[in-house]
Amino acid sequence: MNWVRGLLSRLAPLWACLGLLGLWQAAALILNTDSFPTALEAIRAIPAILGDKESLINILASLRRMAIGFSLAVAVSIPLGLMMGRSRGVAAFFNPLLMVIYPVPKAALMPIIMLWLGVGDIAKTLVIFLGVSLPVIYHSFEGAKAVEEKMLWSGAAMGMSAAKRLIRIVLPAALPEILTGCRTGIVLALITMVTSEMIARQSGAGNILFNSLDMGQYDTVYAMIIIIGAMGIGLDAAFERLRARLVKWSEPGFDIPLSFA
Amino acid sequence: MNARALSTDILLGIVPIALSLALWQAIVSFGYAPVTLLPPPGTVFMRLLQQLATTGFQEEIAATLFRLFAGFAIAVVLGVVIGLAAAASPAINAVVRPIVRVLAPLPKVALYPAFLLLLGFGHESKIILVAADALFPILLSTYYGASTVEQKLIWSAMAAGTPRWQILFKVVLPAAMPSILTGCRIGLVISCIVVFLAEMITSTDGLGHLLVTAARTFQAVDMFVPLITISLLGLILNGLLQAARSYLLRGFPEV
Repeated sequence: MNWVRGLLSRLAPLWACLGLLGLWQAAALILNTDSFPTALEAIRAIPAILGDKESLINILASLRRMAIGFSLAVAVSIPLGLMMGRSRGVAAFFNPLLMVIYPVPKAALMPIIMLWLGVGDIAKTLVIFLGVSLPVIYHSFEGAKAVEEKMLWSGAAMGMSAAKRLIRIVLPAALPEILTGCRTGIVLALITMVTSEMIARQSGAGNILFNSLDMGQYDTVYAMIIIIGAMGIGLDAAFERLRARLVKWSEPGFDIPLSFA
Repeated sequence: MNARALSTDILLGIVPIALSLALWQAIVSFGYAPVTLLPPPGTVFMRLLQQLATTGFQEEIAATLFRLFAGFAIAVVLGVVIGLAAAASPAINAVVRPIVRVLAPLPKVALYPAFLLLLGFGHESKIILVAADALFPILLSTYYGASTVEQKLIWSAMAAGTPRWQILFKVVLPAAMPSILTGCRIGLVISCIVVFLAEMITSTDGLGHLLVTAARTFQAVDMFVPLITISLLGLILNGLLQAARSYLLRGFPEV
């Protein structure tokens, strides 16, 4: 009986997916309008998109920009967040600036950045970088702030330098929190990617989505929604697995990302 | 923290903002960027003040704020209700949890075309998008707050003869309040961002639409104005929420 229950709970997200698709199918059948195809029709349109060479290249280019933007953001934000968490001065220096930038939609900077850098990869990657940075900084900051003071004292008593303490004590202790930030960042990277491509209609997954909307190819619209949605869910699940492995020692506080979304 | 340290902190915090403004001005003054691409900060802020006085601009702000509040309100109501229900009943939890796990990491902007097709290009599609995006942080933090309420509090309420459904409102909801408000704060920032983006994609009014029109006609000054306005709106709303928080959480240790 136990393994049945275990299997059920592990497959629960899958059931939820199927349930939502079923709901969609039912709603589409009841409404029966052209602009709302059934789930089956949308799923049937997916192979055509993924089989088409041009759109596949587009989607892969999107993913590459996302990966680069995300890695750069993580590389910059984690050290900054950790330093902010350990030093009141650094925190006081950066906090107000971050608070001002926070409510600005990063993808909305796209038109301005496009004026300076053109519509190419650099502009889009920069926007993704900006979008991912803030949550990662914030979570690293919170994580570093919560490190137990005694561990740092004993580190200092053993003669570790400040930089070494940051890497050997603060970083591992704050890792669960940092990874929570990264997980939020991954979803945000996807969101910024889609929006930036939708504003600079030139290439990418967001471009396919909104172009097909303009051209009235509703099957493609919904198929792209499924593809992008699946990317989000897949990346999140993969990251969660990585997180569970890296910080096995820390109790999982919550198995769903708590912040931002 | 004493008053002196606080004022030092504020001074320190102003430095980077002032520095970035100075850098901005310097780039323009020394001719690294043409004024058409990067207008000097003085021009932008003058333009902002001038625009704020016009009724046209005020109407755009009003349209944006209406969508923002409508979406955010839906998200708060649904998020708190579903979050509390999921924390209170294992049966609801078993249904809600997997659905949330699937929907939370889904990029909601990608759903926007579907909302457009189903609800039209008016207010509704934007409000629903804002609600969909702000819902999950509020729902999750409500659930988290409500499921970590100390069991002893519930037991003592039961021992005092409080009916089960009243425990939810008299014990669980107040105890989960700090967590709920944290979720609301995140949801509010997301609402600001999303409403702006939705207006940029398809709209005939609102701040996002202003930015797009300015971008189409290469009016760099007018592109900065809506961006600064949404940042200011975000700061003001955040401040209001902070005030509401310290009112609602009076009596809690370390707010």
